[in-house]
Amino acid sequence: MTDFIKLFLEQVQSPTLGFLIGGIVVASLGSQLAIPDSIYKFISFFLLMKIGLTGGIAIRNSNPAEIFLPAIAAVLIGIVIVFISRWTLGKLPGISVPDAVATGGLFGAVSGSTLAAVLPQLDAAKVPYEAWTAALYPFMDIPALVTAIVVASVYLSKKTGRSTEKVEIWPIIKESLQSSAVTALLLGVALGILTKPEPVYESFFNPLFRGFLAVLMIIMGMEAAQRMNELRKVAQWFAIYAFFAPILHGFLAFGVGLIIHKLTGFSIGGAVVLAVIAASSSDISGPPTLRAGIPSANPSAYIGASTAIGTPVAIAICIPLFIGIAEMMLGR
Amino acid sequence: MSQQVWKLVIVAEEVLSKKLTKLIREAGATGYTINAAGGEGSRNVRSTGEPSVSHTLSNIKIEVLTGTRELADKITREIEAKYYADYSIITYIYQVEALRDHKF
Repeated sequence: MTDFIKLFLEQVQSPTLGFLIGGIVVASLGSQLAIPDSIYKFISFFLLMKIGLTGGIAIRNSNPAEIFLPAIAAVLIGIVIVFISRWTLGKLPGISVPDAVATGGLFGAVSGSTLAAVLPQLDAAKVPYEAWTAALYPFMDIPALVTAIVVASVYLSKKTGRSTEKVEIWPIIKESLQSSAVTALLLGVALGILTKPEPVYESFFNPLFRGFLAVLMIIMGMEAAQRMNELRKVAQWFAIYAFFAPILHGFLAFGVGLIIHKLTGFSIGGAVVLAVIAASSSDISGPPTLRAGIPSANPSAYIGASTAIGTPVAIAICIPLFIGIAEMMLGR
Repeated sequence: MSQQVWKLVIVAEEVLSKKLTKLIREAGATGYTINAAGGEGSRNVRSTGEPSVSHTLSNIKIEVLTGTRELADKITREIEAKYYADYSIITYIYQVEALRDHKF
């Protein structure tokens, strides 16, 4: 147990976390520090492109059948997370079902920044993982958003007693695929598989990755502190959910990952990536999709829960937690 | 060379941007102007005026010049029916003098 605590503490001291906490602290102190929106957009593009390239190069050199079972697992986890929220958060007093379902959808969806944060930490801890695991992102992201919007629409049409417009699923999938995060990732994967991007990868994407990630962590920290104001206006249950849900979802996915590990030899590091993808909640591409798909849900509730608490918990607690467990399992 | 026209102003959530401009064009307005907007309103679902990572909580301000009050009212009615219930949105109207001679 002491070994585990030591491993956990080592993870907490990583630069990724330090910069995240730094961002939270300066924003809470009312600092005027501002990082332009366009820089933020470029950095998230850059990081996801790099992750995509890494994954694409890995897929080129591996057996594509290996990704099948983890991808199915990612889809199912994305769907289950929405139902967990529907039947836990949605049952609490004073919580409207659409708010709970939208929050579940956002927590089922995936955060590019959290995904970008876990991979270098696994490298640093020398826990091996399949580089293509990053390509599981859209497999969990899209089903979670679609499920949330469908569940909310079914609930609302039953409640009002009139059959509202039928939910069109394809536009939601299309919008998710067209979102900047998923586009950057999939473009990277495609370029990694179809071209030989190693020269730009080695000279540009790989060396700059950690530095840009650190800057992104400051931005996410500042965002988290600012969104606390939104969260204060809604029921406290959202804050409690936002704290525990990432850990629960992480364990659920880690368990599933370990089953696949037993079945097919999927790496334990891969199970960590799956767990962190499940623990993460969407910051960028999810909210606009949900705002359009479930208009009656209060965006302060789900964005506040996700950005102010969900993402920091996923990065600061879940990443060190699951890497620590993986290291224990690898017998360190 | 000036004429009296109606200026309809819509302050709304940025996620509605495309839908609103489509609605405005389809109603028959000849054009519109969009700005990013920030501020705080009575509705307790949004309060941000700052640029942010996710554009879900950003606002826009759309200005539409119409030659007749009827057209402005038509646009307002459609926006009311579709978006007032679930979105943060306000509309207001005033008469202005358009300096350039133009068919509104």
